[in-house]
Amino acid sequence: MKFRVERDVLAEAVAWAARSLPARPPVPVLAGLLLAADEGKLSLSGFDYEVSARVETEADVEEPGTVLVSGRLLADISRSLPNRPVEISTDGVRVIVVCGSSRFTLPTLPVDEYPALPQMPTVSGTVPGEAFAAAVAQVATAAGRDDTLPVLTGVRVEIEGDRVTLAATDRYRFAVRDLMWKPEQEGLSAVALVPAKTLLDTAKSLSAGDVVSIALAGSGKGEGLIGFEGAGRRTTTRLLEGEFPKFRALFPTEFNSVATVPTPAFVEAVKRVSLVAERNTPVRLSFEQGVLTLEAGSGDDAQATERVEADLEGDDISIAFNPAYLLDGLAAIDAAVAQLSFTTSTKPALLSGKHAPDAEADEAYKYLIMPVRLSG
Amino acid sequence: MRLVIARCSVDYAGRLTAHLPSAPRLILVKSDGSVAIHSDDRAYKPLNWMSPPCTLKEEDGRWTVENKAGEKLIITLEEVLLDSSHELGVDPGLIKDGVEAHLQELLADRMEVLGAGWKLIRREYPTAIGPVDILCRDDEGVTVAVEIKRRGEIDGVEQLTRYLELLNRDPLLAPVKGVFAAQQIKPQARVLAADRGIHCVVLDYDGLRGIEDDKLKLF
Repeated sequence: MKFRVERDVLAEAVAWAARSLPARPPVPVLAGLLLAADEGKLSLSGFDYEVSARVETEADVEEPGTVLVSGRLLADISRSLPNRPVEISTDGVRVIVVCGSSRFTLPTLPVDEYPALPQMPTVSGTVPGEAFAAAVAQVATAAGRDDTLPVLTGVRVEIEGDRVTLAATDRYRFAVRDLMWKPEQEGLSAVALVPAKTLLDTAKSLSAGDVVSIALAGSGKGEGLIGFEGAGRRTTTRLLEGEFPKFRALFPTEFNSVATVPTPAFVEAVKRVSLVAERNTPVRLSFEQGVLTLEAGSGDDAQATERVEADLEGDDISIAFNPAYLLDGLAAIDAAVAQLSFTTSTKPALLSGKHAPDAEADEAYKYLIMPVRLSG
Repeated sequence: MRLVIARCSVDYAGRLTAHLPSAPRLILVKSDGSVAIHSDDRAYKPLNWMSPPCTLKEEDGRWTVENKAGEKLIITLEEVLLDSSHELGVDPGLIKDGVEAHLQELLADRMEVLGAGWKLIRREYPTAIGPVDILCRDDEGVTVAVEIKRRGEIDGVEQLTRYLELLNRDPLLAPVKGVFAAQQIKPQARVLAADRGIHCVVLDYDGLRGIEDDKLKLF
């Protein structure tokens, strides 16, 4: 095997494919990155039995071939090489990397012991890369991190015709985002539970592409797999199993009061006030006509208050939230104005975004947040 | 167990010296000979103490506790307010793997935690090399051996691997799958388990026990 490729192209491709390499490979070959050069194309693949990643780039291939080398080492090397064309070739059981005046000789791993990567399922539809990444980020923020509830560490993907719904929760908040996509076939209806962290990484890394193809396979047991492809990058991940909580009924539809607050001022105020909120203590919000008062800290501890201009329709309300969850939601709505809708101070509040104070609230993204009970 | 409440001052002479000025204190003399001096605060750790083996020499108004290294705890008693002895007998001790046993019991009662439709065959399923914590059937009727730990480490996976090897020799049970269930699972143990086709499950002890924190939740 022998090929030449630009340093930046190589470094980017290697870094991306090496993402899915396991931190503790149970078999040595899994620490490897599979390089395959053929007919002007170079492909790199990594796999850890859960997630597979494959990237294809143009390369000047002189002699086709396949080789398996330590992914971590190749990633470190390609990142540090001078900005010159890189030539990679095999010499017996070794791989030679030459770039400018630097030269590396790397041992190879046995290619025939490398497991076959899972087949990319048939494409179910496409979404714009950037919109998909933004939607996933909005939802994944609410996903659980507790391994005792594996179902909640995933993002639920519901496909219904030309609409995709993403949902995630950790029982304290629930984020749901609707977005439109182009299904390959009409009347497609499918659900999947994708590990949130993997989905977030994947969507982000594919955001540069115009379109991301989503491929969903096998609703049958044990073979659940979802694939994403865009801009020459292709990744598959195993799906989580389990019953995701039914969420539509959790979202209240009738409210006693609705507050609107300019998001930047709100975020700043929550950040400042929560400086004195010790671990597991809330920020308290009191909404009255025209003003929102934020408070944190109590008793002999440090305390803080701040007032922010706000509009309120309906009853005055005092409610307390975990500041981190509130800030996550305010960041996720990605809008100039935040709208909070309440029923009572012990019932979930609905956070949504508006691009202007008098605009309609964005229906596509909803962040339901559970208040914290105030003692005394 | 002898309890003495007395106004006393205490001097310790040994590797380090310490002096407690006169004050009312609780002195515990335990059946193993150990002596501990407590003030009226904190749940553990006496102000001063002498671990066994040691000897207590009682003189009028002055106790001397000495250990083999010649270190001395000298208690000068000014006024004894209480001196009472009680026979406590042998303590059953802290059952070390009490949580493990409880987890096993809880999980056996709630097999659905492992998966819908899973059924218990029996707890403590006997094998030639010791009992398997739980033997059950999954929703497809496949036999599953479950090893339960508080902390899931490599040796737990090894233990389960040995059971699985043995159980898989039994044509009536084979094929037997493995589930490694623990309150927390070390990354190394997870890798080893995955490599051996053993499924890992993290158990929520409080959840199984039905102890809910009082935080408000959506569901």
